[in-house]
Amino acid sequence: MTTTGPGYDPPRRQDARQVPTFDPQDPVWRQDFPITAAGEDEVTRREFVRFLVVASGGFAAGNVGVALWSSLRSINEGEPREIVALADVPEGTAHLFSYPTDADPAILVHLPGGELRAFSQKCTHLGCVVYYQPGTHDMECPCHEGHFDAESGDVISGPPQRPLGRIDVEVREGVVWAIANLGEGGSGRRRGDAGATS
Amino acid sequence: MRTPAASRPLPRRPRANRNVPVAVGAFVVVLLSLQMFLLTVGLDAFLADQDGLAWITAAFSVLLAAGSAAFYRYLR
Repeated sequence: MTTTGPGYDPPRRQDARQVPTFDPQDPVWRQDFPITAAGEDEVTRREFVRFLVVASGGFAAGNVGVALWSSLRSINEGEPREIVALADVPEGTAHLFSYPTDADPAILVHLPGGELRAFSQKCTHLGCVVYYQPGTHDMECPCHEGHFDAESGDVISGPPQRPLGRIDVEVREGVVWAIANLGEGGSGRRRGDAGATS
Repeated sequence: MRTPAASRPLPRRPRANRNVPVAVGAFVVVLLSLQMFLLTVGLDAFLADQDGLAWITAAFSVLLAAGSAAFYRYLR
């Protein structure tokens, strides 16, 4: 029985530590650290693709989970609440309040012409608070110079990709009320009908 | 106690037989990168309350996973 030659297949052992061997084709790092594991040569294409299938399936499951979560969750629309007397918010100014919870900063804007708009004050980029700019009549995020349309909440410029969350407001006997949180773009309930006229 | 034969180094396989084919590696990089991109799009759609986009993204992701499973069956 021969123990050399091209047909010789030596017995394998499970010990991961090996005596250093040098192959001229090896990269320098392997020559410097010539430790080989018994199983490192044993990955077949099929085994490799099995990892691929598992990873890809995991991503797909995650994506389906996100879609399900997106469909099944409910936006906290909040309860109708008084914000401020209309007389205290002249045209071209803004008033800060919290809605639907005390942890959700919001801003009420009295646009020139009498229209009232209310938005979540959280920038949709990284969550900084946005402010109303009376000069340009837009909402500005000072962190990264994001600008939103003060009438619709849509992005005008800057890094934000999504519109501001809108809050439905109306005037009842001279007092501005927040009626419902509509979510980003006003898609929560009545899109495009979230404002009020003073 | 170890025998001298047990500590003998294993002969390395030829390099061509050790490496995973480049084409398979490229397939993995492209496919998993695309899956990661789709997950990012799905999360963005989630944050933007765009359920339709989230479902379209999920459908593409499942399609890709099914494609990789088909590739796995092909490599018998």
